[in-house]
Order: sequence, then structure tokens, then C-alpha cells
Amino acid sequence: MSEFKLTTVEEFEAATNRLLETGAKVGADSWQMRVKNQTPHCKFGEQGICCRICAMGPCRITAKAPRGICGCDAHGIVGRNYLKFTAGGAATHSDHGREICNTLYHSKPDGAYRVKDPDKLIRIAKEWGVETEGKDIYDLAHEVAYMGLEEYGKVFGYQRFLDRMPAGQKEKLIELELAPRAIDREVSSSLHTAHMGCSSLPEQLVRQSLRCGMADGWGGSMAGTEFSDVLFGTPKPIETEANLGVMKEEDVNIVVHGHDPSLSEKICDWAEDPEMIALAKSVGAKGITISGVCCTSNEVAMRRGIPMAGNFLQQENVVLTGACEAIVVDVQCIFPALGPLSKCFHTKFVTTSPIARMPDSEFIRFDAETADEKAKAIVKLAVENFKNRKPELVHIPQLKQKATVGYSLEAIVKVLDNVTNSQVDVTGTTKPLLECVTSGVIRGAVAMVGCNNPKVRPDTAHIDLMKKLIANDIIIVASGCAAQAAAKAGLMDKRAKDLCGAGLKRVCELADIPPVLHMGSCVDISRMMVLVAELAKDSGLQINQLPVVGCAPEWMSEKAVSIGNYVVATGLDTFLGVDPYVAGSTEMQYWLTEGVRQWTGSAYTVETDIDKLVDKMIERIEQKREAIGI
Amino acid sequence: MTLFERVFNGNDAVYGLTEQAIDGAIAQYGEEKAVSFPDTAYCLPCYYAVTGVKVTTLKELKEALGVVKTLMTREKRLNDAFMSGVATALCAEFIEALKYIDGQVPYEQPLYGHLPDAVIRNLGVPLVTGDIPGVAVILGAAPTTEEAVNLVKSYQAQGILVTLVGGVCDQVAEAGMNTGDAVRVIPLGKDVTSVIHVVSVAIRAALIFGNVKPGDAAALMEYTFKRVPAFVNAFAPLDDVIVACGAGAIALGFPVITNETENIFRVPKSLIVQEDVSKFNATSLEARDIKIKITNVDIPVAFASAFEGEIIRRKEMQVEFDGSRVDCAELVQTVEASEIEDHKITVIGPEADEMELGSKNSIAYVVKVAGKNMQPDFEPVIERKFHNYINCIEGVYHTGQRDMQRIRISINAFNAGFRIRHIGEVLYTQVKNEFDAVVDKCEVVIYTDPAECTRIRHEVAVPIFNKRDDRLANLTDESVDVYYSCILCQAFSPSHVCVVTPERLGLCGAVSWLDAKATNELDPAGPCQVITKERPIDENLGSYEDVDEAVQKFSQGALEHVTLYSIMQDPMTSCGCFECICGIEPFSNGVVIANREYAGMTPLGMTFPEMASMTGGGVQTPGFMGHGKHFIASKKFMKAEGGIERIVWMPKELKEFIAEKLNKSAQELYGIENFTDMIGDETIATDPEELVAFLTEKGHPALGLEPMM
Repeated sequence: MSEFKLTTVEEFEAATNRLLETGAKVGADSWQMRVKNQTPHCKFGEQGICCRICAMGPCRITAKAPRGICGCDAHGIVGRNYLKFTAGGAATHSDHGREICNTLYHSKPDGAYRVKDPDKLIRIAKEWGVETEGKDIYDLAHEVAYMGLEEYGKVFGYQRFLDRMPAGQKEKLIELELAPRAIDREVSSSLHTAHMGCSSLPEQLVRQSLRCGMADGWGGSMAGTEFSDVLFGTPKPIETEANLGVMKEEDVNIVVHGHDPSLSEKICDWAEDPEMIALAKSVGAKGITISGVCCTSNEVAMRRGIPMAGNFLQQENVVLTGACEAIVVDVQCIFPALGPLSKCFHTKFVTTSPIARMPDSEFIRFDAETADEKAKAIVKLAVENFKNRKPELVHIPQLKQKATVGYSLEAIVKVLDNVTNSQVDVTGTTKPLLECVTSGVIRGAVAMVGCNNPKVRPDTAHIDLMKKLIANDIIIVASGCAAQAAAKAGLMDKRAKDLCGAGLKRVCELADIPPVLHMGSCVDISRMMVLVAELAKDSGLQINQLPVVGCAPEWMSEKAVSIGNYVVATGLDTFLGVDPYVAGSTEMQYWLTEGVRQWTGSAYTVETDIDKLVDKMIERIEQKREAIGI
Repeated sequence: MTLFERVFNGNDAVYGLTEQAIDGAIAQYGEEKAVSFPDTAYCLPCYYAVTGVKVTTLKELKEALGVVKTLMTREKRLNDAFMSGVATALCAEFIEALKYIDGQVPYEQPLYGHLPDAVIRNLGVPLVTGDIPGVAVILGAAPTTEEAVNLVKSYQAQGILVTLVGGVCDQVAEAGMNTGDAVRVIPLGKDVTSVIHVVSVAIRAALIFGNVKPGDAAALMEYTFKRVPAFVNAFAPLDDVIVACGAGAIALGFPVITNETENIFRVPKSLIVQEDVSKFNATSLEARDIKIKITNVDIPVAFASAFEGEIIRRKEMQVEFDGSRVDCAELVQTVEASEIEDHKITVIGPEADEMELGSKNSIAYVVKVAGKNMQPDFEPVIERKFHNYINCIEGVYHTGQRDMQRIRISINAFNAGFRIRHIGEVLYTQVKNEFDAVVDKCEVVIYTDPAECTRIRHEVAVPIFNKRDDRLANLTDESVDVYYSCILCQAFSPSHVCVVTPERLGLCGAVSWLDAKATNELDPAGPCQVITKERPIDENLGSYEDVDEAVQKFSQGALEHVTLYSIMQDPMTSCGCFECICGIEPFSNGVVIANREYAGMTPLGMTFPEMASMTGGGVQTPGFMGHGKHFIASKKFMKAEGGIERIVWMPKELKEFIAEKLNKSAQELYGIENFTDMIGDETIATDPEELVAFLTEKGHPALGLEPMM
């Protein structure tokens, strides 16, 4: 067996630099160049003190002009911007969840979309009080999907999934007006609250931000995760590989990018079709390789072992290899830059959703009814494009690492069952993990999430933090682009156990897991919420007492702020490596980093010095341990 | 208090005691006083393995304690708790070592204390074959004597080696239980520190079989965690010292199962609270992933490998059968499937209850087997297992083979209802169990009628034995097309590969070429694989491209070249289970051979354990080589260096054991009569100069040979 070694960020960068040389040859633009063009950033924007929500302005706050024309101060402006930012993220995740509910509603025994995990469907149905006995599984699917869709516009009441919380928490959230009502209502209500002439009180703006975030985490995102599992299967541990080296020069390369598994699953199905493979061979390729970028990559990696070509800031690199026949996208985090870039190569840039239409792309509208037909057309388009490759431009950096991914909550519980002793223990709980934590073998857990952001040297924060955490016996659950950073570095290879402290190393050996567990895409942070709820229930503690924290060191999108809000509102301290445009208001900083603690027992910590950020997390985890006497 | 705090407190307490004890000993004996355990090449084995430093005097022991202190860090991390556990174990070793100072004998029967290296080497083969599926360490006193005895017996019945520390020693003694290494129940001592003597076994196993380099603590812990199937049963109450010892055990990978419920933490697969002592066995096996091969033999007494070493004395004996006095035989015969009835067992002649108490009788059992894949070559392979099968019966003892076997049935077994037909039942079940790939049908006929025994012995068995001997005599390395690899030991010695040829059996003495062939037939993906010999490099050395390739493959690249007939150039490696070691003796141009049982000094200035410490673990040490006893008489024994005429010294017992065959080979190879008379032994010389004088006087041929170096 070859020796195991992490891939370093320097190696990532050397590979990227080589690709940028190709880019320079063909006159391509790059995010690296655009960052230079945009630097320095607008200080008012950076601090969140620019207001353009009415046509009297735009207003910006300075020492000489401390209030906008309406009289709103910096705190109100920063607060309103923060709330709108959150609403954008919550709307986005939740609309993704809505699409999944819609796909489930259109599932058919002989259709493009079927129910792959009927047990999970039945479990959710029972949770929601739906009679399941003697019901056809598709009738049940449609009924539950309809109920899921109703969560978006329900007239009264709160999100159904809140019942998954430990006893008393939902009631407390209702009392604090943090419990989310209808998902769309929280988004609307947020936009209303932040409208000209509504709230300018930081406390209320933060409160509604948390509530809106909760509508995402315990509403839209959770629906997205749960019903994706019903449709495409609940992930279980599976081997895959990560980084650009997964693309194969001799194959037709199709890269899926975006978020919604409805598209990527179908593309994968058709890439396996014998007719398509034969077609690929007829054009001189050996076969068809699908790889992924961003969260759609996480979705297909954890369900089918499809390799991960890279994360957010690597999306241009896949085109720069010159070996990408098509990059097929749906929604979210897609650089409009891909259009012009693809024109420099033979690559087809295929957009599929009316939500995300871009110039210089081929638009093939994708929907549940015509999914197979469209997916086949897209794969065919890519295969037929193979012949247009320019061999002189082809260069695939040979970097990749092995990864074991697919740790859904269900899979984690199964892993934990394997370390129980049938003579003394029960199965189907998180208790073995709790025992590791209470005995001190594992000190705690960190949920590492979020994007890449050029403000942080890409992937360094993710990788450095994770390395230090695992060396301190802190286990990591990761999702989104953070998870891909870990996979690219090699931290999801089981051999990474050797980089852990003695405690986590032993746990990895006994449970046969890597020290960083891949829990999925960004909507799958809802899985982490259910995990901590289960840990709290199994331990008899509240979520905010657990030695578990969340961390997004390289975040960039509105979705990430929405996520941060629900993670904090759920009871986990959340550590950010990039400031969420609140530096311009001491009151907003107070509310986010201290004030919310009186409501939820947890708060934000913002620290752009990554070394300090990790030390603060470890310190917080040890404080939590001490508080419960372990 | 947290679990780590308990570990740290216990560690501090033991450290304090150790410091006092060492200072006290220095005050009493002075710094230069020697410290050691008897019969080990590893000084203070645990300390040596962890640090790579050999402690020989009290002064060095005091320095070592300073090193131990550096392990006792106090961060709130498992590593600190593990290292404090290791430090506690090392302190225990120091305290125990002090007990042996000045040749004292601190432990007396039935307590063992320190276990010699030879015991560990003897455990090697049964551990790798799974005959000993695990090692239990029972610590403290069970709630009642009955529970203690039941627990120990439950492990014993599974063949698990049981070591006892503390109150449980008294409990088994009180119950009158038979203990000792022969029945795999070893009371170590009553102080908690005596637990180190079993830890020392695990650690020396890593050095002996695993080629773990002393001082490589990480590799040591990896070895014990992955390869030593030990676990701890610790009875309540657990004080901090025991918790600290437990941390040491868990650090080595041994789970602790306890009935303590006060102030204890649970850790999956590592620290398990089981309040019901009657479930300790099942809980422990599951925690350590030990699978017991279930053999349900329908007989009225127990059947387990733990009884293999049991001896039946004359006064405990109901009846005996003795091939050296009356006609006896044991035989496997291949027949056509239509000729036999599966599971039919017939006794022809009197049963045990028709024999007089204490009488000597004849017995001959013929096991008739049939199967599509059965080959006559497998007959002796199956037959050689009879000794093991019959010995595993509780209250029955078997020695010898062919027509020279001796069997005793104890009064207890007889009273429990054991009869001669049950021997047939055991043979039937075991043959069907272990040889199911070649034996489809099996029938057993047992003769006790003296006239029939005479007939079977002389008219059936002996002619078959003679025929087999002729076949074996013709079975040379040249006469066969393939050799076999054997990697049975890789569970313990991951880079060792045996190459088994007709004239060179496995170094453990347990795998001949026919055994390897049968093993390959029984389990084609198993430990014995075919090695072709189509591409010789040097036939005199016994080097082949095919062999090198196989060795590279099966050692995962650890070995590149192996010769079959040289001890100087790329000699074959050893796992550590070797029956004998030969080592070059420069004064006489010869080699010295020592066998595992030999406890004395050799003319090399080394004891067997010392020679063994340079030879095992899958490493090649030119000039030293492990091998089986029967290889000594082989014409291929270090043929490249001139062969058996290089042998200048052997322990007397070994020389007598091998004399007949060795003399025959020497006669055939060199025309030397009574060659063994020229070979020295410990009654002649253990000093190289005296040995050379003896060899000169005898005109030993080695003196005239080319120097080997």
C-alpha cells in the first residue's frame, strides 16, 4: 500500500497555477483576476453601513453623517442588511427543499423519479401523524409531499420538524418568538421587518434573523434533506475520490454543479446507460466520467460514490482542464463567469433551471415530467462534444485523495451500533458517541460547514482547523464545500486517523471511520441539527449544553448566514472566519456575539485570525464540558 | 471526578510507591546491584520494549523511573491518560523486578509471577492457529468463589488462556481447581502489580513475533491492539490504581470489563460495565471480537483445547492402552464412498466397563474416509491430528502415534460416562469438521479385542506405514513440481513467510510439505499457496525466481530474496515459533543448534532466548536461522554451506531425539558412521575452546571445511 500523505494547499495552488497558464493562453478571465479588480472593497459595504432600501438614498454612515435620511442609525442599517441577507439565504435553501417536495409529489412507480427509501418515508409519515397501514407507497409519498409543501404556507402553527427537538425546546422557542411558522411567511416577514420604516431595533432584527434561519434549518433545508433521502436513498458509507485528478483524460467528462440532486441523479443514471457508453466509444472515448463540483457533488458522492472534482472556488478549474465536455448546472453558487470561460474551450455550459439562467449558456429546461428525456439529451450533447476537444489545451492535474463519505444520521447510528456490546447496550442510539464524549476520549464535536471565500486563502482555514481539532480529539462532521476541502486534503481517508489524538484515533479504529465525517451538502446541515437533538435526548441534556460547536471559516453566501442563524438558534455556538458585514455596528455585534446567548444559550464568535479561531473553539468545548462536570 | 483524573491519581500513587521501593532497595543493596527477571532475553521487558533501554542495575532502574515520570503528563487528553496507564504498568514492572533481586524466589506454586520467554514461544503456534483464541486477565475477587470458578472454567472450556491476579487466585485455590500452564489457568500473583507478568507476555510477543523494534512504543501498541487477543475482567471495587492499570491495558488495546458501577465511565469496546458476572465471558469475547470455533462433540465430558496439556497419573487412571507393550494402532484409510456408512461407530471387543480398573489393554482404531477430493497423501496429515483430538477430551490423555500410541482414560471421565466408543465420536466429529473439503463420509471402527488388534497392527497398519515411509523417503525437493508457502503465522508476524518443501518442513515443526499440500487443498485461498519452482537461479543455494516472487508477494514487499538451503545468504525468516535455532560458531567453522526447551548456555555465549531475540519477527539475520527439529536430519539442511557436517553442538536431549535420522543422513552423504558422537553437547562443553578441543579429538569434519564467513 502506498504511504498516506495529505495533499497540501500549496499543491492545490500549484495545480491551479498550471491551469491558469492554460487560461492565459486562451485569454480566459478568472476569479483570481476579478478579486484583484475588485480590491479594495467598498468600506461602507464591508461594514454593512450602506443603505439602499429606499429611493431617498443611497445613504451611508460616517462620523459626520451618523444617520440616514429617514433617521436610521448604523445599528438599524446593519441590522436590516443582516436580516435581508438571511432572508435571501433562507429563501434559497427552502426553495430547493420545495423543489424536492415537488419532485416527490410527482414520483411514480414507473416514472423518472421513484421512492428509493420507503422505510424513511414511512418513518416521516408516522412522525407527522399520517396513517401508513395498508397505504400504497406512492399514495403515501404524494400525501407526505403535499404536507411538506404546505409547510411553506401553513396558515397557523409552527414547523412540524420542531417536534424532533429535545423536550421543552420547542416550547421555549415559541415563547421567545424564535420558533418558525410557515417557511415563506418567515422570509416575507423578514423582508417586511427590514422594509423602510419598519424595524430599526437591532434586538428585533436579530430575533427575526434567527427565526428566519430556523425556517430554513428546521423547515426548508430539513425537507430538502429528508425527501431527497426518500427519493434517492439515505446515504451510507461509500468510497469515493476527490480533487481534479478524478477527471479522466480518455473519457468524456461531464461535470455536475449546483445543488439539487434531481438533476445530477438523472445525469448519472444516463451516463451509465449502455447506449450512451457505446456512443462515447464510437467517438473515441473510453467511457463517460461524471464528477461533481459544489453541493450537487456532495449529493451524488454520498449516494453513488461519484467522485468530487472540487469545491466552490474550483469550479473554473474544471473547465480550465480543457477536458470537460459539459458542465451541467442547476441552481446556486454557479459563477456567471462559466459562460464566457466555456467559450474559450470546447466545453458546453448547460443551464437547466429558470431560477439560474445565464448568458453564454445552453438552456435545457429540466423538470420532473421530462427528466429522463432531458438528461439523456444533455449526456448525448456532452458525448458528441468530445471530438471538439483541443488536445493542446488538455491538462488534468493528477491530484486526488480517497475518501469515505455518506455519513447520514442513520449511517452514523449504524456505525455506533457496531461498537456496542450486545450483552449490555441498546442499539439505534447515539449513546456510544456520548460515552466517548463523557469519558473524555473524544472532547467534543465541531460541525465544519460553509463555502470558500477569496478573503481566506482557499481551503487553508478548513484544513488547518480540522487538523488541529482532530489532533485534539475533537471529531468533525462536515458538509458543503468544507467537506470537499477535507476530502481533497485526504482528511476523509480512514488513514487520516493517524493525524488524530490518541482518543479520536482509537475511536476511528474501533468504529472504522475517518476522523472527518461527510454529512452531505449545505442543506444537509439539517442532518447535523437532528444529530445534536438526538445526542441531547439520549444524554438528557439540552442541545446548548453539549460540547459541540459549529464553524464556517470560509463562508461567503447568504445561505451561510441563514445557516449560522439556525445553528445558533438551535443552541450551538457558531464560529465564523469571515465577518457578516456587521463591523459597522457595535450593537449588532453585541447582539450576535453575546445578546442572543440569553435566548438560546449560544452565540456567534467572529475571528478572522484562523489560529485564534480554532483555539477559541477548543476553549469553548472545554468550558461546556466543565459546566456539565465531565 | 473524571475518568482521566482517576487515572492520574492512580498513576501518582503507584509512582510514589515505586520511588520508595527503589530507594529502599538502593539503601539495602547499593546502586550497582543487578536487577533482572529470570529466563528472559529482554531484561525488564516492558520498559525495554517501550524505551529501547535495557535496565540491569538498581542505578539504571532509578534512572528509568525518571523516564517514566516524563510519560506522566496531565493534559486532559486520552494520550495523557494512556501514557499514565503505561507509566503505571512500568512502575508495576519495577516493583515486581525488585522482588527477584538477589536470586529471590518471590512466587511459589501455584503462583507463577514472571513467565519465561520459552512459555511465550510455546504459546506462539496455538495462538496463531486459534487453538488459544484469546487471553483473559482476571483481576480482583469475584463476588463469590463459585462465580470465580465458573468464569475461569467458562474461558478454559473455550481454550482461552486465563491469567489470574489478586483475590481470584485464592478463590480458585479454595475451590481446589487444577491450575497451571498445562490447563491454561495461570495464577500470577496476589498483588495488583503482578498483572505486569501477563502484560510482559503480550509485549514480548510483539518483540518476538512482530519484529517490533524496542523503543518504538507506537508500533508496540499497534501490535498488541491489532494482534494480541487479550482482555481484562476487573472485579469491583476498582480503586484508582486499578483504573490506572486499566488505562494501560486499554492503551495496549485490551478492553476492560468490570462489574463496578460506582464512579465509573463507560467507553465503547474499551471500558464496559457488566453487572452480571455470569455474562462476563460473552461480553468480553464480543468486546475483543473473539470468535470461538464451536465444536459440539456428543460425549459426556468436556472437549476443549485447554485440556490438551492435561496429564492423567496412574492413580487417577481407569484404564490404559499402551502400544509399546501390547498391539495397538491408529490409522486413516481411504475407501470408496459405497463401502462405508457415515457416522457409523463400531467397537469390536470389550468396552471400558468390561476392563479391569487400572488395566493395560490393546486398542486399534481405523478411521475410514471417502471423498471426491481425498488423496492417500492426506491420510497421515489427518492421522497426525488424532493426538490433538483425543487429548482435548477432558480426562483423556494421548501420546505417541501410529502403532506406538498410549491412551489413558481417567476415573473421573469414566464415572462421567466416558467410554471407548466416545473416542470414535470425537474422531468422527473432528475429522468431519476440519477436513470437510476432502472428507465426505467417515466411519470409525475401534478394535479392543486383542487378537483383532494384532491383526490390524501387523497385517493392515504396518504395511501401510511402510508404504508411506517409502513414499516419504522418495519425496525430495527435486521429485516434486511445487513447493508451498505458509503464512499461518502472519497474524502475529506480519512479514514472515515460510517456504515449505518436502525436505524442509515449517520452522514450527507443525507444517510438512504434505500438510501444506492438504491445507492448500482444504482452503485454496488459505495460508498455504502453491509456489512453482520453474525458474531456478542457483540450485545449490536453493534460490528461485518463483520463490523470490512468492516471498515478496506474501510478505507485502518486506522480503526480497530467500534461499532454501543457506543460512548465510538470504536465509529463510522466522516468525518466532521455531522449534530450534542454528547459529554460526566461528571457532569451529560450524553451527550450534539449540532447541526451545533447552534452558542452558550454548557455546555461542547465548541462551536459546537470546539467540531467538535476534532471529524472529520475520527478519533475515545471516548466520542465524530458525527451523523445525526434523529439518536437522535433512540432506538439505544448510546444504549451501556444506550441510549437516557443519553441526558441531546440540543440547543432549535434542541430539538423542534426532540421532537415528541424523546418523543415517550423515552416512549417506559423507559415509560417516555415528556422526552424532562427534557432536558436542552441554555435558561435554558450553565453552567454544573446550568444544574445539573435543571436536579436534573426534576429528569432526567441520574443522576441515572452508570458513563460513
